[in-house]
Amino acid sequence: MIDFIRDYGLILILFILPVIFALQPLFLPRIEKMHIQLDVAELKRKKLLIYRQIKELEMEYDIGNINENDFISGRATLKKEVSEVIAALKSL
Amino acid sequence: MTPIAGGVALNLAFGFSILTVFTLFLHTRNGDQRLFLTGQRLALGISFFVFLATFILAFQLIQSNFDIDYVARYTSLETPFIYKISALWAGQSGSLLFWLFILSVYTTIVILQNQRKHNSLMPWVIITLVIVQMFFLILTNYVTNPFKPTDADFIVTNGNGLNPLLQNVTMAIHPPTLYLGFVGFSVPFGFAISALINGDTSPLWIQSIRRWALVAWLFLSMGIILGGWWAYRELGWGGYWAWDPVENASFMPWLTATAFIHSIIIQEKKDMLRLWNMSLIIMTFTLCIFGTFLTRSGVMSSVHSFTASSLGPIFLTFVFLIIVVSFGMMYFRRNELKSPRKMESFTSRESGFLFNNMVFVVLCFSVFWGTLFPVISEAVRGTKITVGPPFFNQMNIPIGLILLALTGIGPLLAWRKTGRKNLIRNFTFPILTGLSTATILLFIGFRGYVVISFSLGAFVTATIGTEFARGIHARRKKFDESIIKALIRMVSKNRSRYGGYVVHLGIVFMFVGFTGHAFDDEKEFSLTVGETDHVAGYTFELIQLSEAERANHYAWISDLRVTNQEGTFVTNLHPEKRIYFHNNPDPNRRQPHSELDIYTTMNQDIYSIFSGVDSENGVAFIKIMVNPLVRWVWVGGFILVFGTIVALWPRKD
Repeated sequence: MIDFIRDYGLILILFILPVIFALQPLFLPRIEKMHIQLDVAELKRKKLLIYRQIKELEMEYDIGNINENDFISGRATLKKEVSEVIAALKSL
Repeated sequence: MTPIAGGVALNLAFGFSILTVFTLFLHTRNGDQRLFLTGQRLALGISFFVFLATFILAFQLIQSNFDIDYVARYTSLETPFIYKISALWAGQSGSLLFWLFILSVYTTIVILQNQRKHNSLMPWVIITLVIVQMFFLILTNYVTNPFKPTDADFIVTNGNGLNPLLQNVTMAIHPPTLYLGFVGFSVPFGFAISALINGDTSPLWIQSIRRWALVAWLFLSMGIILGGWWAYRELGWGGYWAWDPVENASFMPWLTATAFIHSIIIQEKKDMLRLWNMSLIIMTFTLCIFGTFLTRSGVMSSVHSFTASSLGPIFLTFVFLIIVVSFGMMYFRRNELKSPRKMESFTSRESGFLFNNMVFVVLCFSVFWGTLFPVISEAVRGTKITVGPPFFNQMNIPIGLILLALTGIGPLLAWRKTGRKNLIRNFTFPILTGLSTATILLFIGFRGYVVISFSLGAFVTATIGTEFARGIHARRKKFDESIIKALIRMVSKNRSRYGGYVVHLGIVFMFVGFTGHAFDDEKEFSLTVGETDHVAGYTFELIQLSEAERANHYAWISDLRVTNQEGTFVTNLHPEKRIYFHNNPDPNRRQPHSELDIYTTMNQDIYSIFSGVDSENGVAFIKIMVNPLVRWVWVGGFILVFGTIVALWPRKD
């Protein structure tokens, strides 16, 4: 038995540990979804993306790739979207 | 014992993959987070076992354990260390394990990166990735196991050794790079399938995979360029692209992936082309699997198909399932895939992108048809009709030139609609540059595609220059910055945009290099020491013919002195004729190989091949090729990689 453990010990550890690691959460009490935490992260990401889009729109306008009307309406739409995201963030 | 551990690790990985899919599927039904955590950890367990199996095989290759069939087939005691490592992906079962290894690396990164993100998408992303892993685990466990023991009923004292063509540093790097690209598209595909299952086809999934798609595209591009570089420097036929089925296998997903990374910009910014983007990523991933099938099944005759196998039906079934399931889900979600916005004008950037996308897909179809035509003709008429480079060139050069033109046109168009005034303002300078170039070239005496290609190159370069100039001008006007500061700030704040322009510049360089092919010159002759011959204005004199015995081959080395028309010394070239496994008593096992030598400048390459030797009479048979502008292709490749890295570089928010 001792010889077996000495010869195969490392291999047993390498194979058994991942099994324990993988199955361990099943023995925890039921976990509720971390809704709020995840929603906040998602909304923050969305906010960041809209800010980037506003910056890009401003650049397109500065270069002359879009006309003034499109720029004003596009920026207004994005600002409305970001306001909604900020409001949603505040409500959480 | 250790090889057995490798086999057991693969078995356990397969077992874990079944459990992962089962556990995560249950989680999607009842929402129990414990099942999600277990599923994640089981997926990490698959990766762990695959890493273990891969490291064990690599260790056995280094140790030259010829009890393993794979080790005996692809290495020998004389194989240099680096090529013992690269033997890991030289054969069929090893390369499939290596595919799995890279997929496991990517899966691990995806899981760790998204532990607290994309809660609704992640279970199906992991399930999709694990199903792909499962497919490769079935292959490596039950069809072509890399740990299979040697069949011989005697002790194997030495192995076959690695194919000499693969004993090249570029070839040691090329397959991993290509695989990093191929496998990389599994991640966007996983997110796409997850978005389809969840019914959330908004730009959210696109935002999650943009960087992944770019990374995979970068590696695929690098893999293709390195493959061309290897073919040029190693195969000795003087070219870098032969429309070989295996080259095409990597080129087809590159085309659809290029279309994809362009059109996701539209979905991200305008929420258009939802259906199109979904189709493109499914096509790209399917073509990646199909490419692996072409490379590994031996179904096509090719310089790359070093192994023939019975993998074909299994791969084709998997490809068929991917197509049916993915497009079936798209049909099921057809209402959610309708984009809320429509194109407003033909002269908009959106239209430009869409048109460019369509040309990419047409080009892909043309390559696909040419690649599969021999197989289809054999299946239908019983005769294999091979479609060679003339077909591909005739079909694809015009399409390629249209794409080059669109590379220039797209950035000049405005979003939504480009007014007449803007059209004139944006296009005047680039068009004038293109037309001036065409006039000069026609005046010098050039005709045909050469004129079109160089003129379009000039047009696109002018476009890129204009875009940079306008951006710098706008910043200087707004922030009162110096030109350098404005340039740096502008690029660093808009990395994907200006990185993209740099990539376009790289493409222009590559097109210049491709066009140089029209002026290639070559000659084959024999020389004894002191004799001379002439090619394309250069004189070649054989100074010396020597021999050398090295670790894994025997070589005849020629010393050629090259002078130009004025008699000025240019360079010395030393192409070699080698015999690998020269000590093998069986003459059939000895492998001749020509190691070429190249003198390269931006203008042209002098490419020398030592094709044969008459050692008794001291005669060397030499082939010389003078290939103009080839270096532009490699420089273009570097620019393309640099531009993609700029686009990928993370920005501070």
